[in-house]
Amino acid sequence: MNGQEPKTNPAALLSGLTKRFPGFQLGPIDLALEPGTVLALVGPNGAGKTTTLNCIAGLTLPDAGGTEVFGAEVHPARPEYRLDVGYVGEESGFFEGWSARRNLDFVASLMPGWSHDRARRLAERFALPLDKPVSGLSRGNQTKLALVAALGHGPRLLLLDEPTAGLDPVVRAEVLDVLWEITEDGKHAVLYSTHVLSDINRLADELAFLRDGQLVLRTGRDELSEAWRRISFRLQGDECDLDGIVEHRRVRTEHQVITRDAAATERQLAELGAESVEVSRMSVDEIAVQILKEGHDVERTAS
Amino acid sequence: MWNALRAELIYFRGYMFGGLGIATGVSGLLVALTWFKRGADGIPTFLPGMFPIIAGMVVSFIALALRSEERRARLLLAAPMTPRQLAGVMILLPVCLVAWGVLGGALLLGLTSLLAGQFELGDLTMVARFAGQFLVYALMGPLVQEAVAARRQGRSRAGLAGWANLVAVLLLLTSVYWLDGRPGLNAGLQLLVAAFMVVPTLVLYQGRTDFTR
Repeated sequence: MNGQEPKTNPAALLSGLTKRFPGFQLGPIDLALEPGTVLALVGPNGAGKTTTLNCIAGLTLPDAGGTEVFGAEVHPARPEYRLDVGYVGEESGFFEGWSARRNLDFVASLMPGWSHDRARRLAERFALPLDKPVSGLSRGNQTKLALVAALGHGPRLLLLDEPTAGLDPVVRAEVLDVLWEITEDGKHAVLYSTHVLSDINRLADELAFLRDGQLVLRTGRDELSEAWRRISFRLQGDECDLDGIVEHRRVRTEHQVITRDAAATERQLAELGAESVEVSRMSVDEIAVQILKEGHDVERTAS
Repeated sequence: MWNALRAELIYFRGYMFGGLGIATGVSGLLVALTWFKRGADGIPTFLPGMFPIIAGMVVSFIALALRSEERRARLLLAAPMTPRQLAGVMILLPVCLVAWGVLGGALLLGLTSLLAGQFELGDLTMVARFAGQFLVYALMGPLVQEAVAARRQGRSRAGLAGWANLVAVLLLLTSVYWLDGRPGLNAGLQLLVAAFMVVPTLVLYQGRTDFTR
């Protein structure tokens, strides 16, 4: 024994992942998701979030590049990797005329390693009406059912496409708690796309921003909240050329800027002799909105 | 794959029993009217054997459309199933539904023969011929679906090949139809045409680049 931990494969590894559609190209995307990580895939509609998740789940085959899940190549002909994956998408394919319970029994019959006990506990926790037909379930309850079906076999990688859409605040919090608990042991990973930016603060360790099919930024949540600041100051004269500024508002000598490099901006302001400098923190969802709204050419920090 | 097929058959058995019920009702009405008008000798005994097979075919179209609407492949793809197994479920489902129809048809044929007090082997071969014909129609559904999917996924040549196969099947079916005088041979050839259709459907499905729809 040399005392070294055996090297674990990434939960998901995207290597040059490329998918082309008429008028749109996703990628090439290089991305590694380590076990124990919750990565939020953030981007406007049509940015390629769902396609990325579909490629990792093996529902869509890429035109170039590839995907691995815990070291196993994602390929439809070798589907064993799916035992490690739980996927909740916009559609789940349930038998709509059957009850939620019967659908779960069917999924259990297909999935080795299914735990009826785990599924029952999750259903109770989400207050899922198991005896109602799927066609009679609300959007939120269908999402809960999809979550139970995705978690019942204890996958190590969870792929979630807008998992909290349509959920009421109480269940949303419960779902986020469950996802948080799943990753606590450091062996599981969650990759989820979301429009609900407040979820990011609650759950994500890392953020990946997709824009027009390109991964424009991959960064840690804490790094992001440390680097971005809203700064207001007073400065005489017209010259105000600052680095890292993504938004600048000015009324005569009063300025308010949003910077993605707070340290550099504050240093420059001191050199320029700015007065009444007030620096305020921004929440992660505020920063995400800025990145998405403005489409800044942000630097790729990690992959 | 067998679990999935079994579940689909259980899911659609309500439709199938409904279809068989309608077929039995229509057959019964026809037999009763014929009996009333021409007596027991005038009953076309093969006819009641045909309606349940038509019911099987119609239910197979309904099943295919509903599966597609409910995006069943997405549910099955949560499990470690290969595209070949998924295609197997898609192809075997109409085969099983038509087979149920054949079974129902054979039962009705037997019942009608008993009522009419006569049994002719020709009726059985006639029912076999209908079975072959309607099985081919039922299997056209998955082939058309895959040809459309191939075009949608930008696999134009595969899509064209799918449509070409469909045209070939229709031509074969027409040729077989003209062998009217030999229903036994006719039935056998139609079953061969049905088997011929399975191959391109399977190949097209395995070539899919997207399983979300």
